[in-house]
Amino acid sequence: MVARVYAVAGIWLVALAAGAAALVAAHGAVQLGTFAGPIPLLRLDIGLTPLTAPFSALLCALDLAVGFWVVRRGRPVDGLLIALFSATMLLVLLARSVAVFFAAWEAMAIVSVFLIAAQHDRRNVRRAAFTYLAVSQSGALCVLLALALLARAAGDPAFDAIARSAPSLPADLRVAVLWLALVGFGSKAGLIPLHFWLPRAHPVAPAHASALLSGAMLKIALYGLALVAFELAAPAPTAWGIALILAGTISTVGGVLYALVDHDLKRLLAYHSVENVGIIVLGMGVAVVAADAGLEAVAALALVAALFHTVNHGLFKALLFLGAGAVADSEGTVDLERLGGAWRNLPWTAPAFLVGCAAIVGLPPFNGFASEWLTFQALVAALVRGTPAGTLAIVAAIAGLALTGGLAAACFVKVFGVVFLGEPRRAQAQTVPERADASTIAPLLLAALCILLGVVPAIAVMPLGSIAVALVGAPPIASASLGVMPATLALLPFAFALVALGIAARRGIRRVPTWTCGSPVGPQMQYTATAFSKPLRTIFAFVLVPERERLTEGGASPWFPQRIVYRTESRYLIDEVARRFAALTFRLALRSRALQSGNLRLYLAYELVTVAAIALAAR
Amino acid sequence: MMLVLQVVAIVMLAPLVQGAMRRLRARLAGRPGPAIVQPYRDLGKLWRKEALLPVGASPLATLAPGLVLGVAVTFVAALPVLASTASDAIADIVALGFLLALGRFVLTLAALDSRSGFAGMAASREVTFGALAEPAMLLALLGAHAVGTGTRLSGLLLVPFGPAALLAFAAFALVTITETARIPVDNQETHYELTMIHEGLLLEYGGWQLGALQLAGYVKQLGFLVLAAMLLPGHAWWELLAWVAVIAIAITLVETLLAKLRLFEVPQLLASAVILAAASLGLRVLGGLG
Repeated sequence: MVARVYAVAGIWLVALAAGAAALVAAHGAVQLGTFAGPIPLLRLDIGLTPLTAPFSALLCALDLAVGFWVVRRGRPVDGLLIALFSATMLLVLLARSVAVFFAAWEAMAIVSVFLIAAQHDRRNVRRAAFTYLAVSQSGALCVLLALALLARAAGDPAFDAIARSAPSLPADLRVAVLWLALVGFGSKAGLIPLHFWLPRAHPVAPAHASALLSGAMLKIALYGLALVAFELAAPAPTAWGIALILAGTISTVGGVLYALVDHDLKRLLAYHSVENVGIIVLGMGVAVVAADAGLEAVAALALVAALFHTVNHGLFKALLFLGAGAVADSEGTVDLERLGGAWRNLPWTAPAFLVGCAAIVGLPPFNGFASEWLTFQALVAALVRGTPAGTLAIVAAIAGLALTGGLAAACFVKVFGVVFLGEPRRAQAQTVPERADASTIAPLLLAALCILLGVVPAIAVMPLGSIAVALVGAPPIASASLGVMPATLALLPFAFALVALGIAARRGIRRVPTWTCGSPVGPQMQYTATAFSKPLRTIFAFVLVPERERLTEGGASPWFPQRIVYRTESRYLIDEVARRFAALTFRLALRSRALQSGNLRLYLAYELVTVAAIALAAR
Repeated sequence: MMLVLQVVAIVMLAPLVQGAMRRLRARLAGRPGPAIVQPYRDLGKLWRKEALLPVGASPLATLAPGLVLGVAVTFVAALPVLASTASDAIADIVALGFLLALGRFVLTLAALDSRSGFAGMAASREVTFGALAEPAMLLALLGAHAVGTGTRLSGLLLVPFGPAALLAFAAFALVTITETARIPVDNQETHYELTMIHEGLLLEYGGWQLGALQLAGYVKQLGFLVLAAMLLPGHAWWELLAWVAVIAIAITLVETLLAKLRLFEVPQLLASAVILAAASLGLRVLGGLG
């Protein structure tokens, strides 16, 4: 118990620090400390810039909620790891020089491996953690290379100096840095096609770890992308912006399609992270394209939309992952085919989870609506002027984003309808409904934030607007209509819903068995998740490549089988590419084993040669 | 004030449009058909009747009829027919899609809550076609809109009719057929549960709750007809009314002449709507054509 108290205190301490950092950063850049190390490359600077404010604020809110969760659930050691993990993420935000940034980035990656590998006695968990580590370290190399190139061009590894010399960066160097940053940060954020580790790693972690991995760590990667694109290597060229728009669109549509056919609740949520990261990157791409076309106000709007969606996705995704944790604890599984009617066992979590579903789908008046609406506004505004290629990319992005909205709605109707509504799909031992305790506060707190930011988006949009001014030099074009629109849109529907509840209470509703054409009513008559997603699985078969297997154990006649086993699985084309690449890497690693004799003198000789080579190169 | 008048007029007229279309379809099929005012009588009868819900259904099923009706009323309030300044404050082109998604989300969840396999099947098809119709609707409305005037719905009235608007109208007409549950996508008059989409969602509802859901369907249908009429030349309210009549007759003719499409051919219809709409938007932005 004492260890748990320390853990929660640690988490809330980081939350406090993050909140303070957000408040300070929102008022302008601050230099907090500097240490000129023995050699210029190791110069250490920490400070705050306006860009870090939304990320720190998000970290503060998530740590606050996760702290409540850890009070009741999870091992104390998980809690301590969470505190450490949050602290490293905060340090990434505070970093103002290459050395601090990279050290914090690597510390964050390593702590997150421990979080993912919490249940390391299971083989698939170890494999997932290893895949994550491999991708994460390859991405980190790209990040290091990009930052090193920038520091070399500026002649100073402090971010302020790099930003000052950014406008005079040679064009080809700028392009190289931006692409390296896209690969490095994009792989960490889960952009397709570098996403394949994410749906493996996030679901195997415990609920509170998944909540922070999806809710916060992906956002830190997006912070890195924004830092390079809008500060360290600004202004980015249109072609790179179009690449961001296309990568974002592919990630949104691909992420939601894979989520639709997945029936492991936590993996499905992980695929939705891919989708939402796509929406955010798409917004950043529009900002780049618009800024390059001289439409600063549109760029500012796109940036506000991207940053707002970053915060919103962090909130509702953490809420959904904690809800999935509550489902796993109460029902003993996260397999959609075996769940059903969980509302009765989870009277507190279910409404919060419903809010999370509505928010991620983008329904008014929840926060997802506000930021997706702003993203669409930015896309439409960016149509005005620009290259034909940019215009085509934006039209594709509008269509892709609208399709994603509909598919996400389909997916979350499936999730909430199958998991929480109807009857349980399998005979279960009599379970006790959850009681209100500290861990039920966490999802309710996050749900309240989703509603607050949805009904009064101005409290986020106004400060984000001033951040955008600092980054692209103009206030966002008028988005005044957003001020009241979520409320006016939702006013009548929710008022009518209340009236309907009132009439139902007054006149009474007779409860009758469901009509099943006269046959006995049973839970097996309910539509399953596989059946529900079948039409979309068929329509998008050219992407999903479903393989199905049907086994029928016939009795006397083939038309009256005794038992039917139906299994369907998608083939993940990108996974196969990644697998080939991994196999190649392993083969090369085996070859390179010849270098590893285990003889200490040989290693010393290697080092001597390396030092000599560096000395020669640096001469 | 004009906004209230607009909402009241559309809500009051919506059952009449439904009755007229049903009567016309019966006549074209050689039947006498029900009276034009029959929907009003049905709604009155349903209002007086007791509501029934499946055992164990959650509060979501109880609030769904009100919420869906509220969505339909907000939808028609947002159309710039009589008071464009007031209606623009309610929703724009982008928000309209999210608003309809709210109604669809709650109604399909209520269907899954009813434990009925038929309702689950209907919900699955409804969200599928809804997802495919959404990009077509958004692109078509943007294609019928002046570039650079934002996303206000009253912007639809500023643009002169031309090739881009014609393409947008064609795409939007396909969306209208889908969203109003008409042949060749769905069939409002079917009595066969396995083929139902929109009707299937309402299977477990009865009494005044069913009445509210049916009224919501009629209001949403008239809203789509009015929105489609706005993509055609002439934007005064009587011109819109005339276009609504023409489109309603055309849809009824289509319903009489065509058979229902196979379920998995509907996506092709909606994909062509997306392509038409994207072409319209491309023409508007790149070609500079009115």
